[in-house]
Amino acid sequence: MDFSFSREQEMLKKAVRGFAESNVAPRVPELEQKGAFPFDLVKGMGQMGLLGLTNSRPYGGTGMGYMARTIAIEEVSRIYPSLGFFFQAGNLFMFAVEGFGSEDQKRKYLPDLCKGTKISSFGVTEQMGGSDPSAMMTTSKLDGESYVVNGRKSFITNVEVADTLGFVAKTGDSFSVFFVEKGTKGYEVTRREPRPGLRCMPVNELVFSNCKIPKGNLVGEEGRGMAIAITTISVIGRTGAAGVALGAAQGAFEGAAKFCNGRVMYGKPISNLQAIQFMLADMSTDIEASRWLCYRPAWLLDQGKNPREIGPDIARSKLFAVDMALRTCLKAQEVMGAYGQSPEYRVEIFLRDAIELLTAGGTQEIMRLTVGRALAS
Amino acid sequence: MDIVVCIKQVPDPEHFSKIVLDAKTKLVRREGIPVVVNQVDKHALEAALQIREKFSGRVTVISMGPPQAREAIEEAFAMGADGGVLLSDRAFAGADSLTTAYTLAQAIKKFSPFDLILLGNETADSGTRQVAPQLAEFLDVPHVTNVRTIGFNSGDTLIVERSMENGHMKIEVRLPAVLAVNRTINEPRIPSVIDIMQVATKEIKVCGLADLGLSSEDVGLVGSPTQMANLFESRRERRREILDGAAVTAARQAVERLRELNAL
Repeated sequence: MDFSFSREQEMLKKAVRGFAESNVAPRVPELEQKGAFPFDLVKGMGQMGLLGLTNSRPYGGTGMGYMARTIAIEEVSRIYPSLGFFFQAGNLFMFAVEGFGSEDQKRKYLPDLCKGTKISSFGVTEQMGGSDPSAMMTTSKLDGESYVVNGRKSFITNVEVADTLGFVAKTGDSFSVFFVEKGTKGYEVTRREPRPGLRCMPVNELVFSNCKIPKGNLVGEEGRGMAIAITTISVIGRTGAAGVALGAAQGAFEGAAKFCNGRVMYGKPISNLQAIQFMLADMSTDIEASRWLCYRPAWLLDQGKNPREIGPDIARSKLFAVDMALRTCLKAQEVMGAYGQSPEYRVEIFLRDAIELLTAGGTQEIMRLTVGRALAS
Repeated sequence: MDIVVCIKQVPDPEHFSKIVLDAKTKLVRREGIPVVVNQVDKHALEAALQIREKFSGRVTVISMGPPQAREAIEEAFAMGADGGVLLSDRAFAGADSLTTAYTLAQAIKKFSPFDLILLGNETADSGTRQVAPQLAEFLDVPHVTNVRTIGFNSGDTLIVERSMENGHMKIEVRLPAVLAVNRTINEPRIPSVIDIMQVATKEIKVCGLADLGLSSEDVGLVGSPTQMANLFESRRERRREILDGAAVTAARQAVERLRELNAL
């Protein structure tokens, strides 16, 4: 077994770390305070080629792969998980289009999305249809050359800033994936949800009222929407959430370790105290275990494995990473005492962001179901 | 314009606290300490890339070091360098600044025609600031150190600004020349994914003693006129004395004590 990165991956890690430390870190206090979407940083990630790591070259991507994407997510999230989450929310529609869309759709939409000059969002969740997507109520009916869409979606990340929204709607007894452009009549982004974490990625409700979209806005075949959505959420959404959790935990751990090496009690840094060492050791062990659980599905995807076959591997990585991030952030707070709750030390930001990941890409219980069902079968 | 940039791989300054000085062997033990490209060398490379973007030409990086120093050249490729030369031979090991400059100069003469040579002003590990002036002497061209801006005149001259303690000097330099830049000159670029993926398509020319046609007597530790006499950790110990009494009395006592200690 070879656990080492390729030279390209090593250089990518270094480059993304450089970007995150020099361009992102100084912006965190302001972004946290304002809760504004960081268009310039997203564009910066696009210019570096980070947004299209899993998209192919003809469509503006770099095709470096899923391991590369995991590395990038971890490194950005190590500094600011909220921005790292863009690889989750922003990559969903890009994956659906590249994997299932027409050649015209790929050529028209993917280059700008890879560059970060345009933003996309992907909407599945509804008030009554989150963990059970089949309960969704949004409908799309063919009427001549258009589909007429009615319904609402809830908790949709970045739809407020998106130029294009991919979404799933009922087409008769089955489901299909469509997309709608910003400004289309009958499509309205409404209430912004107040959120404890991931503050620079806005989450909103949206409403379709007799919204007419061209027939050409169907992604893939009609009736295959649920399979497309589930694959997209698994390959991009869950791996993305896991990578963000991993980076958040790493960031919190590094903050805590630095604090413990500098904070003096009884004449010595508190990192000399065995009680503190045990906590730091547990944190680093937890992170390392999670890291390999995250890398494995990414590596399998790079080997060309069918995403459906590795659904349980992906679910395991998300399940463990998010629980691990919460444990790690709480331990980091514990060793730092009251300083752990100060935004200045940023561990509280990592904790708030990790909480948001509990439901991203599916709840932890859905992850357990995915793993459990595979074991039972 | 042909530009040569000299870069060096150094221990990561963030891990300097882990460096151990071996009192017996008089060597710096660097085991387990990650290496990075000397930071100010990246500024030199960035300056070269910006000049190439403005006037076209070719940027070649050159580094002397162990085989792993190829990683530094790969990083330079990722930033946009066109060519790379690695001077690697056991005979080059232990070189002081003079033999380093001598070896670099011989390699540049042999492999890299140049209009301009750029270096970082100093290295994070030894920090002598001597290599640039020595290199210029070996190549018989002018040099300027501590450069903070580079401007182009008409013809073959540059106008450079050299940082001074209380200001700066503006200097006209005739090309070809050697410039050692400081960190204020620019912000080094972060490589893009495409640039990183293209690294594998660029070739590093690896040269040893024989390739340069040099004698082992003139390079490395053997050829170095300066030798390490001693190596020790400097320790600063703090002492504390508490002076009692009124402020005026305590102040007088403090002055007396400082005089006794030859601190005043």
